[in-house]
Amino acid sequence: MFHQTTTKTVTILLLFIGMAIYTVFAGFYGRELVIEAAYLVILAISLDMVAGYGGMVSLCHGAIFGIGAYVFAILTGMMGISPFIALVAAIAASGLFGLFVGAVTSRTSGIFFIMTTLAFGQMVYVYTFENRALGGDDGMSGVARLDLSMIGIDTNDSLQFALLAVVFAALSYAVAAFIMRSGFGRTLVGIRSNEVRMRALGLPVLRYKAFAFGISGALAGLAGTIAAQQTMFVSPEMMSWMMSGEALVIVILGGLGTLVGAAVGAVLFVFLQHEVSEVTRYWHMVVGLVLILVVVLGNRGAYGQIEHLLERRKKGAPKASALEVAAEKDASHA
Amino acid sequence: MNLIVKSALAGAFALSATTAMAQEDVIDVGMILPYVGVYASLGEEIDQGFVLALEEAGMTDRFNIIREDTEASPQVGVAATRKLVLQDEVDVLTGLVSSGVLAAIRDFVDQSQTPLIVSNAGNDEATGADCSPYITRVSFSNAQVNRPMGQWLYDQGVRTVYTLAPDYAAGRQHIGAFVTAFEAAGGEVLGQDYTPFGQTQDFGPYLTTAQAADPDAIFVFYAGGEAINFVKQYDSFGIKDETPLYGSGFLTSQLYLDAEGPAALGVITSLHYLPTLDTPENKAFVEAFQAKANRLPSEYAVQGYDAGRALVEAVKAGATDRESIKEALRDVQYTGPRGPLEIDPATNNIVQNVYIYDIVEGEDGKLTQELLDTVEAVRDEPNGCEL
Amino acid sequence: MNFWIVQALNGLQLSMLLFLLSIGLTVIFGLMHFVNLAHGALYALGAYVGVSAFALTGMYWGAFLLAPIAVALAGVVLYLGLIRRMRKAGPMNQVLVTFGLIFVLLDITRIIWGDLALSIPEPQLFTGRSEVLGVAYPTYRLFIIGLGLTVMAGLWLLLSRTQIGAMIRAGVDNDQMAACLGINVERLFFIVFCIGCALAGLAGAVAAPVLSVTPSMGTQLLIPVLIVVVIGGLGSLKGAIAGSLLVGFIQTFGAVLAPQLASVAIYALLAAVLIFRPAGLFPAKA
Repeated sequence: MFHQTTTKTVTILLLFIGMAIYTVFAGFYGRELVIEAAYLVILAISLDMVAGYGGMVSLCHGAIFGIGAYVFAILTGMMGISPFIALVAAIAASGLFGLFVGAVTSRTSGIFFIMTTLAFGQMVYVYTFENRALGGDDGMSGVARLDLSMIGIDTNDSLQFALLAVVFAALSYAVAAFIMRSGFGRTLVGIRSNEVRMRALGLPVLRYKAFAFGISGALAGLAGTIAAQQTMFVSPEMMSWMMSGEALVIVILGGLGTLVGAAVGAVLFVFLQHEVSEVTRYWHMVVGLVLILVVVLGNRGAYGQIEHLLERRKKGAPKASALEVAAEKDASHA
Repeated sequence: MNLIVKSALAGAFALSATTAMAQEDVIDVGMILPYVGVYASLGEEIDQGFVLALEEAGMTDRFNIIREDTEASPQVGVAATRKLVLQDEVDVLTGLVSSGVLAAIRDFVDQSQTPLIVSNAGNDEATGADCSPYITRVSFSNAQVNRPMGQWLYDQGVRTVYTLAPDYAAGRQHIGAFVTAFEAAGGEVLGQDYTPFGQTQDFGPYLTTAQAADPDAIFVFYAGGEAINFVKQYDSFGIKDETPLYGSGFLTSQLYLDAEGPAALGVITSLHYLPTLDTPENKAFVEAFQAKANRLPSEYAVQGYDAGRALVEAVKAGATDRESIKEALRDVQYTGPRGPLEIDPATNNIVQNVYIYDIVEGEDGKLTQELLDTVEAVRDEPNGCEL
Repeated sequence: MNFWIVQALNGLQLSMLLFLLSIGLTVIFGLMHFVNLAHGALYALGAYVGVSAFALTGMYWGAFLLAPIAVALAGVVLYLGLIRRMRKAGPMNQVLVTFGLIFVLLDITRIIWGDLALSIPEPQLFTGRSEVLGVAYPTYRLFIIGLGLTVMAGLWLLLSRTQIGAMIRAGVDNDQMAACLGINVERLFFIVFCIGCALAGLAGAVAAPVLSVTPSMGTQLLIPVLIVVVIGGLGSLKGAIAGSLLVGFIQTFGAVLAPQLASVAIYALLAAVLIFRPAGLFPAKA
């Protein structure tokens, strides 16, 4: 079950403050990396909500992310609609798509759930790839950025846009944490641990799962709009299953089922990718090896490992609440 | 992402050279190519060709090459380009294999007023409706390579064709240009199929359908792994005996010829470069490239070479910064490995010969290109381009 | 009429290629409940080893023999080093580890064989075309069809008529009960995993003369193969056969009858099957 523990609060605050400070002192390229990390944080958190807490490992989050980006791009780039309206519409569209996929797939589970989400994701990808009105494989340029000049923010300035992206990431974490702490979030965890029992309790389990997927989709869509604004360009690439796989890798790197882990994982992933690719062309192999290592070593991920170590130390101390430790353990072993 | 393949040695050389000749400005070149993924081998060829041009001119120390990897992904490509322009403040950009990446960075390049020498990506718009004074293309346009084949095929007595290509923008442009020219000449297209890109391993169903339409010839565009699959499967179905295969020259590029094997014999295609061209310029180039890479250069190598050569010529003409390089590139004109070439002032696209060739067995038993015909100085219409 | 016969043969040929690949994957899953996403990468490895074996021996049959052996050996290494450890780790972790393996194997093939597409010629014995059902059809494709059918029959006999087959079936049904009956389930897993890998390697060598050998060939075919396995129902031979035929024929006839929909068709099929039959058409367990 999700608890906003002190460890979580401290880690997430340190992470976002660290990103903000780095943004101020970084060069242009560093800021681009921050923006990329920020939208990956949002995407990973959205995936963790369903995969970590709902047990629904999705391979279509890349496609949902892409839907957010494309709706935003179509509305601002092709139709010249205000980016604010486009933002809302993009989030709504990806949320609805998530709700749809969630509703249709809620009866399947395990590998079958993974494959069904893959199928829906790939259908979106192939459709976009071959749709010439949407630019086909060439994608679409001319995406506008949010206009926040009335509150004195120039989104075309790399520093201010990067900071804005970090703010969006922080807000997303807050929203996700709030939802996971609510009764809804608890019910979701209940469904994951024992779907039959929850159904016996009279809960509309399938509806819960679909809603969770819809909320997660909306968040993934938000991540897509930021990605589209960063490069002012969208392409079907964003929707491919490799993107979904990447999101999953991020969540695992950071630690599944903790929300904070997803955020940590995103920053780690961008850092890793950047640093390793400076040294070798074969950075995919390094990412693959790291992934294997993380899973073989107990699959706690970077943040899960920190929590694990802190817990072990706390166990000796008299203050430790056994209940909380158990709850945390449950969360990190999703 | 954003792999900076700063080959440490080259970097060190450039640096020491800079201090030695402090009076001459070093030109920073941002090279945007795929070094991993499906297009990695093309990126490698272009890179080698580019460096060869600088070496040949003895000007390696005038240029500092900063390499960025696009992974052939538009997203990564945009990030790489922005980094090169805004952080490294390069004087000129070059590279671009995938049209998708070129389309993605087009606006940014234009607005940031950074000259870009395109060394592959052939989407027609880049030197058509979406042209920019800052974008110069020394490779080809999709239409340019295929248009001459329309008339030529008709002149060979071919009256009806069936076309096949992958279902993506470039596939449609390659085929579109040919079809327009072929129909203008009086030919008839019996049918067209666009195969799902990157997902089609088995061309059997399409080949059977094309054969059933009973055309005089089949005209296709395929590249990379798909080209090899297609040529081999076309051969195995025995269609060659009744219906000859024509296409865009990438189908039987030097790069894939070994893998295609005897299946490629007799396939007739058109392209802007053949390693077998019998000119002193080309012989010197082939020799130099072979000494460097230990294999025959493909059209990609020559495109990289000409990107480098065009830049060298511009700098020789006195260009030193973004604005002057952009201006000087327009006046570039020389006879290179692929014959006489110049930059079209109306579109900034290259004006060049297109060679029609077939694949034959050479004296050493290896497959080689045999020149059948040359269409000289092929120039694209402006197609909405206003410079 | 001839047109449809040829297209049906095309569909059958593709189905058999998919079958060779999916049977290893599905048996490994059925027995070990292990989702091996790296199966596609092993297929690519088989094709590459085939290319090298051809260069070495100058014969197609060198590739045909050496590729399955080499990939089975790679399977041994993988099993002892990684898979055995992951046996009890749950499907999610297995998906992740093998997803990581895809990246590693992909880059290893790139380091050894480079990025350029490679190929090997068809065997002398099966070049040209042969007459079947009144149409001329590429002989090598007939060979693929024949090989697929042979493997199919062999596996059916193995599973239904031999002792090891009975053991495997028992393991698929209930591995704990099988262990209680004195079957060495661990060894059984190991053998089945290696056979699955060998079949993937064989598929690679068989595909190499028809398709180009590229680093991404494994990931390209992984998704159709996963679709075959999931549609058919994980773990069953019958499911793999039905899934291969369905996907092979839908892809082939989709390309002929509705080219615009060809690329979406198999995904739509997958989604439809899973929505109405959430465990596939022929699940190994009722």
